[in-house]
Amino acid sequence: MEPSGVQVKKAARFDSLPMIRFFGHILTSLGSKVLIALSGLGLAGFVVFHMLGNLQVFEGQDALNAYAAFLRDMPMALWSARVALLAIVGLHIGLSVRLAIQNRRARPAGYVVHHYRRASLASRTMALTGSLLVLFIVFHLVHLTAGWLDPEFHNRVDLRGQRDVFGNIVHAFQNPLLVAIYLAGQAVLGLHLSHALSSSLQTLGLEHPMLDRLFRGAGPLVALLVVVGNVAIILAIAFGLVHA
Amino acid sequence: MITLESKVPHGPLETKWDRHRFSEKLVSPTNKRKVGIIVVGSGLAGASAASTLGQLGYQVDCFCFQDSPRRAHSIAAQGGINAAKNYQDDGDSVERLFYDTIKGGDFRSREANVYRLAQVSMQIIDQCVALGVPFAREYGGQLANRSFGGVQVSRTFYCRGQTGQQLLLGAYSALSWQIDRGQVRMHPRTEMLDLIVVDGHARGIVVRDLVTGAIRSHTAEAVVLATGGYSNIFFLSTNASGSNVTATYRAWKQGAAFANPCFTQIHPTAIPPSEAYQAKLTLMSESLRNDGRLWVPKQKGDSRSPEQIPEPERDYFLERRYPRFGNLAPRDLASRAVKHICDDGCGVGPGGLGVYLDLSDAIAQQGLEVVQERYGNLFEMYQRITGEDAYKTPMRIYPAPHYTMGGLWVDYNLMSTVPGLFVIGEANFADHGANRLGASSLMQGLADGYFILPYTIGHYLATTKSGPVGTGHLDVRAAEERVTNRVARLLRGRGRQTAASYHRSLGRLMWDLCGMAREEAGLKKALEAIPALREEFWHEVAVLGSGATFNQALEYAGRVADFLESAELLCYDALHREESCGAHFREEHQTPLGEPLRDDANFSYVSAWEYVPNGRPVLHKEPLVFEFVKPTMRTYQ
Amino acid sequence: MTFTLKIWRQNGPADKGRLVTYQVRDISPSMSFIEMLDVVNQQLTLKGEEPLAFEYDCREGICGSCSLVIDGVPHGPDRGTVCQLYMRRFPDGATITIEPWRAKAFPIIKDLVVDRSAFDRIMQAGGYISVNTGGAVDGNVLLIGKDQAETAMDAASCISCGACVAACKNASAMLFVAAKVSHLALLPQGQPERTKRAKAMVAAMDREGFGSCGNQYECEAVCPKSISVRFIAKLNREFLRATIEEPSPLAEQPADPHDESH
Repeated sequence: MEPSGVQVKKAARFDSLPMIRFFGHILTSLGSKVLIALSGLGLAGFVVFHMLGNLQVFEGQDALNAYAAFLRDMPMALWSARVALLAIVGLHIGLSVRLAIQNRRARPAGYVVHHYRRASLASRTMALTGSLLVLFIVFHLVHLTAGWLDPEFHNRVDLRGQRDVFGNIVHAFQNPLLVAIYLAGQAVLGLHLSHALSSSLQTLGLEHPMLDRLFRGAGPLVALLVVVGNVAIILAIAFGLVHA
Repeated sequence: MITLESKVPHGPLETKWDRHRFSEKLVSPTNKRKVGIIVVGSGLAGASAASTLGQLGYQVDCFCFQDSPRRAHSIAAQGGINAAKNYQDDGDSVERLFYDTIKGGDFRSREANVYRLAQVSMQIIDQCVALGVPFAREYGGQLANRSFGGVQVSRTFYCRGQTGQQLLLGAYSALSWQIDRGQVRMHPRTEMLDLIVVDGHARGIVVRDLVTGAIRSHTAEAVVLATGGYSNIFFLSTNASGSNVTATYRAWKQGAAFANPCFTQIHPTAIPPSEAYQAKLTLMSESLRNDGRLWVPKQKGDSRSPEQIPEPERDYFLERRYPRFGNLAPRDLASRAVKHICDDGCGVGPGGLGVYLDLSDAIAQQGLEVVQERYGNLFEMYQRITGEDAYKTPMRIYPAPHYTMGGLWVDYNLMSTVPGLFVIGEANFADHGANRLGASSLMQGLADGYFILPYTIGHYLATTKSGPVGTGHLDVRAAEERVTNRVARLLRGRGRQTAASYHRSLGRLMWDLCGMAREEAGLKKALEAIPALREEFWHEVAVLGSGATFNQALEYAGRVADFLESAELLCYDALHREESCGAHFREEHQTPLGEPLRDDANFSYVSAWEYVPNGRPVLHKEPLVFEFVKPTMRTYQ
Repeated sequence: MTFTLKIWRQNGPADKGRLVTYQVRDISPSMSFIEMLDVVNQQLTLKGEEPLAFEYDCREGICGSCSLVIDGVPHGPDRGTVCQLYMRRFPDGATITIEPWRAKAFPIIKDLVVDRSAFDRIMQAGGYISVNTGGAVDGNVLLIGKDQAETAMDAASCISCGACVAACKNASAMLFVAAKVSHLALLPQGQPERTKRAKAMVAAMDREGFGSCGNQYECEAVCPKSISVRFIAKLNREFLRATIEEPSPLAEQPADPHDESH
């Protein structure tokens, strides 16, 4: 009786510090996964929002540039959002890398022959697509947000004196190399999202006999919508349907 | 010289156990902490005993040869567990369960033990529910029951076809709790190879660590064996490949009497052996006989496929022999009928070992869907194993050794003739007499482990003074030496035969001469053949590898060597019991119609065999007195 | 039938291990995979070579001892245990690769035998209902709906073979732990310790060095008992619930156990 009693007491005292308890849970594999899922869902939300905003390309130069100016007019909100996004991305990547290392360690010696029975291509390449996405996002930020590739073009203004985001985009996607890079980026994003979303729902414990199909289908569906939306913009410009 | 003292309390049957419990001495909580108990085996009996003893405060060491206590062979039991709950209000009671068990055992078991078993059966169900065993339920949330093994009441509790698994996992979880609390130390992959007896009391065991090969001794105040049965003596059986007789046989050699070794149960419906290398018989649920009809072609050696054999040329032999019960005749009768018909050369399938179990009438009458729903998983399993579609051609079945009612002799307290050595579950002989009823083995294992042994062992510990026994004690060293020598001797085997081939030869011999039907000439022949086979084994067996590593060949060879010795004991017992009772059938003792003839005047006793070094085992008799029920003849014609 | 077998041989935990090729002839299609390996062992023994170590026991698919990865799939091409796999399932003349379960938490003991005691330790961390023997209430006092009992039984039918770990890219034991936690969380008897159990078993799983779940569902695809990955979602929920519902005592517990007896 005694040995176990002593253990329980010790554990209870340690557990009574709420912060320690909280971080204790984050450090478990399940706690990390929950945070990865939540941050991932946040990022996916941003991606959807980003795609919807960009669709304003089809409404013409004025609409898009006004939308960009609207965002820039709230520097506090914009920068808060940017910092928050960065933090979420950092958390997402940091915890994922940590788990990936642990997962690698969980099987030090691999199989000589290994066959998957069920795992989708997307699920098998999450680490790869995740890494490629980081590269793509960095490139995207350098290219269109910071405008370091073509600084002169980037700072041009339209007739109303607003920053000409529209012209900038149209200019970019007339370059076949950039079109190729962005299309590849979309493919990677689509692959990553198609597994990630449904996987997050599972990690958050969503499971129901009637709704399981919805949960399983949600990921690929949302991924498809995001990719279709973004690719439509790229191709529309590349084929001259949208022009300056 | 051993004496058999059953220690059954006097007085009315109903209150024997209660009065006995009150008269038992208790061990004080402070002293319990100082008392070590060894439990060998982690099946239903072992796990339930170890966890309960740990909970009571004893220091328990539990051993199993499997890699985890959860893999003990109890896990494979399918059907269910009996309890006299009378939840169905169909007239069940403790008395009825008691009577059914006594009668099913063909009046070769102790009344007091069986009554106690029926009494505690109810607590078992409650305990298992509390542990989270997911028994089948009715829509209203109450426990569901089914009728099993030809009894007239529904008293069997079940978890689909995996009752043994769920009950074992329940006991295993209780054991896990006690391991977590530090009350039980678990030693998996550790095999008991000998018993340590000091001053006439069981004080420990010698084990071999199956991973490192180290031979160690463990000492304690008492030893509990829960090591299961020995059906694997027949090589082909429904038991797990690891099930063995070693622990009980070694204990026998240290002075524990072995009771009724010839009472071995043969299950009628297993998938027949198909080729020489087969190493296992898979059980098919007996429920198939509810709708299936057993038949063979009338013409010997008929090689036509079953569909081509017209109705008049088929012999529905069970219906012919037992018109009243037909295909639902009890296990022992059905098994024997199948064997006879195959011995006559009418058997079907490879080697003529098999009869058809035909459900085509049921399919025609009730529709394919009903049959599919009821037996679909069995048809699927049959197809997986045999590659045949049983919906098109009838299944083939053949009897298979399944359970051993015999085991180490124990008194009412479950203690063997060696003081301090307790034996529970299938390893003892106690409650099933000459034949076990369906769904009773799980009941007995858990009754012994949860509710009986923890009381009775306390009395022994409270009334026995025992000094400490260190690992340097002379008797401990002697036991270790016996084990070391034996392992070394096995490892010297560099012959030209595998242990498996001897096991197979022994199995065939036992099946033919000491199987379902036995006769004097055959048994005498077996008694001559076994020592010769054993001699050959020790000369010709090849055991490769080292003793200092994980070595399955060495483990197996040791078990086969013990089967080769204990087989003789079975034959001696079968030879001396000049009657047919329950699962034991002597050709010489049957009615003109082929029914077994029991001889209560001369054989109403438990035969308990004592080991004599380099000599024939000596028979002792514990007379069976029936104060409360009157032995009757079983008739099924 | 004739087969070329490439079998993993490894003398002990310290040995590096390698695939060794063996030829077997005269194999009957109705032989089980285990019996086929018995033939290999017989041949090896008669040649004076050490037979290969591999695990099996009940040979009817319930004990969970079998642990072979056959051609890259735990338990082989069919969804069932190796002991219920028959040679007729393979084409004559096939080359079959046989490897052990591979995971840090399942160290190799010898050849194809691994140490799965990590599962036992996870169970000891909380995979039980701590009730004493004796004193249980009548089984019918707790009413449990048929569907609920059946779902609990679905989870409880896990045989702890470890194929889920072997199949998982991350050697994760989530399906095993999920089955065990769900079984007890679904029953009223399991409620009092529900929170503690989920946390303790997840912590034990991490401690043993299993990876985390990638939601690829390879485990479900090879599980011989068809345990659903929905139980993994259930485990995730149980864990979240446990984290949120952390039962903190309303009053400070007495530090000294004797305080209670004032």
